[in-house]
Amino acid sequence: MIDSPRRVAIVGGSRIPFARSNSVYSHASNQDMLTTALEGLVERFSLQGQTLGEVAGGAVLKHSRDRDLTRESVLGSRLAPETPAYDVQQACGTGLETTILIANKIALGQIDCGIACGVDTTSDAPLAINEDLRQIFLDLNRERSVQGRARQLLRVRPQHIVPSIPRNAEPRTGLSMGEHCAIMAAEWGISRAEQDELTAASHRNLAAAYERGFNDDLVAPYLGLERDQNLRADSTPEKLSRLAPVFGGPDGTMTAGNSTPLSDGASAVLLASEEWAAERGLPVLAHLIDAQTAAVDHVHKREGLLMAPAYAMPKMLDRLGATLQDFDLYEIHEAFAAQVLCTLAAWEDERFCAERLEREKPLGAIDRARLNINGGSLAAGHPFAATGGRIVAALAKELHERGSGRGLISICAAGGQGVVAALQSAGGAK
Amino acid sequence: MAIRTVERSPSILPLYLRAAAPMIPGASLLPFIPGRGGEIPAIELRLEGVRSDPERVAAYAKVCGFTLGTHLPPTYPHILAFPLHMAVMADGGFPFGAVGLVHIENTIVQHRPIGPGEELAIAVRPTGLSPHRSGQAFSLITTISAGGEVVWEETSTMLRRGRGSSEAPEPQRLAGAELEGQAGAASWRLPGDLGRRYAAVSGDRNPIHMHALSAKAFGFPRAIVHGMWSKARCLAALQGRLPDAFEAQVRFRAPVLLPSTVRFASAERAGAGGDAGKAGAGGDAERAGAGGAAGKAGAAGEARGAGASGAQIELALLRGGSGGAGGIHLEGRVATLGERARSSYGAAGGARRSQTPAKPKNKTTESGV
Repeated sequence: MIDSPRRVAIVGGSRIPFARSNSVYSHASNQDMLTTALEGLVERFSLQGQTLGEVAGGAVLKHSRDRDLTRESVLGSRLAPETPAYDVQQACGTGLETTILIANKIALGQIDCGIACGVDTTSDAPLAINEDLRQIFLDLNRERSVQGRARQLLRVRPQHIVPSIPRNAEPRTGLSMGEHCAIMAAEWGISRAEQDELTAASHRNLAAAYERGFNDDLVAPYLGLERDQNLRADSTPEKLSRLAPVFGGPDGTMTAGNSTPLSDGASAVLLASEEWAAERGLPVLAHLIDAQTAAVDHVHKREGLLMAPAYAMPKMLDRLGATLQDFDLYEIHEAFAAQVLCTLAAWEDERFCAERLEREKPLGAIDRARLNINGGSLAAGHPFAATGGRIVAALAKELHERGSGRGLISICAAGGQGVVAALQSAGGAK
Repeated sequence: MAIRTVERSPSILPLYLRAAAPMIPGASLLPFIPGRGGEIPAIELRLEGVRSDPERVAAYAKVCGFTLGTHLPPTYPHILAFPLHMAVMADGGFPFGAVGLVHIENTIVQHRPIGPGEELAIAVRPTGLSPHRSGQAFSLITTISAGGEVVWEETSTMLRRGRGSSEAPEPQRLAGAELEGQAGAASWRLPGDLGRRYAAVSGDRNPIHMHALSAKAFGFPRAIVHGMWSKARCLAALQGRLPDAFEAQVRFRAPVLLPSTVRFASAERAGAGGDAGKAGAGGDAERAGAGGAAGKAGAAGEARGAGASGAQIELALLRGGSGGAGGIHLEGRVATLGERARSSYGAAGGARRSQTPAKPKNKTTESGV
């Protein structure tokens, strides 16, 4: 046991380009993509045959046969098979949550290094057999007599051929995430123009990041794709303004442009103690200095489904003794442009901060020029569990290039949950 | 040697018909039907501008158990070359028909992993006949290049059953006999339609793999699995343990009847460059008699003997479920070739395994461009 926590180094990340649903990765399984993302790290940091402390990963949409998805992916990679692994699932917070889990074990001295990873496919989605048919099969299995079995089989109806398809809806409200976000956007009075502006900036920033080679060692080509497929470098607010609303009714402000598309992809991040990295001559891009999760009651108290990061952030800031403005970079996951704008509005709102966050003063505004400067999920796409790894690696690299500074990450998740984290540059670029 | 460059990947079905035509009495008198006996012609077929089709690769990977990664499965180039194999054996100058030939050995040398979008040039040529204990053997030598660099080679040895030569040497065992008794060997259940599934992704629709009835016509009690499926499945099981450059030699010893349960056993042997060299020599000895066109047959063998170093993996596909009725379907070994330079994180991008990804806009195709 150690007396005080150790500093946790972010060594680097690797991901495959994100693809739009039912496109180039249609035939790639979660395991294919997660193994490939792990292999990206193996290749880059010479981890062949090495036993790591742990690999934590996950997927939001998972086949029942992929029970131990991360462990199986480790076994398919060139990492030593003796590397333990486990699956985590916290909706879109999965990728960042795995990072926190690995980081905490490193901080406590329980492991020296580990990989946090995540993957999702909406193309190779798990279809389950019809729920009624499943019950019949289970009853059939319990029957002992021929008569009983025949009776069960007679319950089968033609409509049972329709499989059970996973839905992007909240179990307790029946509303999709987009519909929930549309309610938030209306409550906070977020305009269409603001959302389209944020979306265009996301595409512009990601395109610029690719142009300057920022992603060269973060993104490894896969199945012929070299860049995120959803990226539209020529996106403008004017073009986006012509799209029809898809959530919030005919007067809604949310479109297919300012909402993330269903996507496929995987990401992985290598974390280590400073000693482990130093022994191998590996870089330390940044340190993960703190993290916080929070959840809201979107069912009974009718808080916005995606507002939890707004609650998590002040808790972490208080612990760090910092204000929201003390940071140089902000990475707010763009599930929807409206989600980002609602969060920012909430932090500026005196009443919200007083009543809901119980603070004397609002957290205040941030410098928008520091927000998602290398692009966000609206441009890159959002394979649910892979987003956290994309953001952690990109923010760590940006902090390393700057040689100083701190950055915040905020990710909203289904079920009314949110995950935030803070990174600090390890100093000394290159 | 007659070198012929074909414009596009030949379609398989007509080739099957031509290859089977010698079964019709008298058909071989026609100049375009093989089977007039004599020597194997010194020909070489070439196909250039071949790119793998991502969807076919994905379907192949699924059937064989490979992860769909950033490179082609190491056995996939065989699929790209297979139409040329058939074309060689359906050539009018070929001394006998391909139907009834038995695939007895296969050696693949992967010099480096092949990227999914790489443009490949394929060359296939047969060696001459050499004596075998159960008839006569010849090999199809496949060489695949990318940008003028040889990246992949294969020696596929076929047996024509007949009067054997007792002087032909007994081939050296590729895997230790202890693999047969290995506890904890993996157990694989192979479904009855596996032959059809593999046929769909490989194009190899030999009737012996398709159905029990069609297999019976050729003397098998049930359909048998493709040898190259067995090899691919074994290499897929070693995924993550395979180096970038390796030689994988397998010998098909007894057919796998479908459906069935087989066991897979493997063992890693510590680095012994000498042994790997010997393994190559053993393989060559069997083909030693292949003169004439086989002049360059040593190509794959040379690469093997020269570069083999480091650890090797012995593997076997064994008969039966947990009871272990005994018997070997396939034995083989994988030897590491050379030592890949360890990547360093610093060289951004350059540290990656060499790969030439396709531009997304380029429509890829498996036929010649």
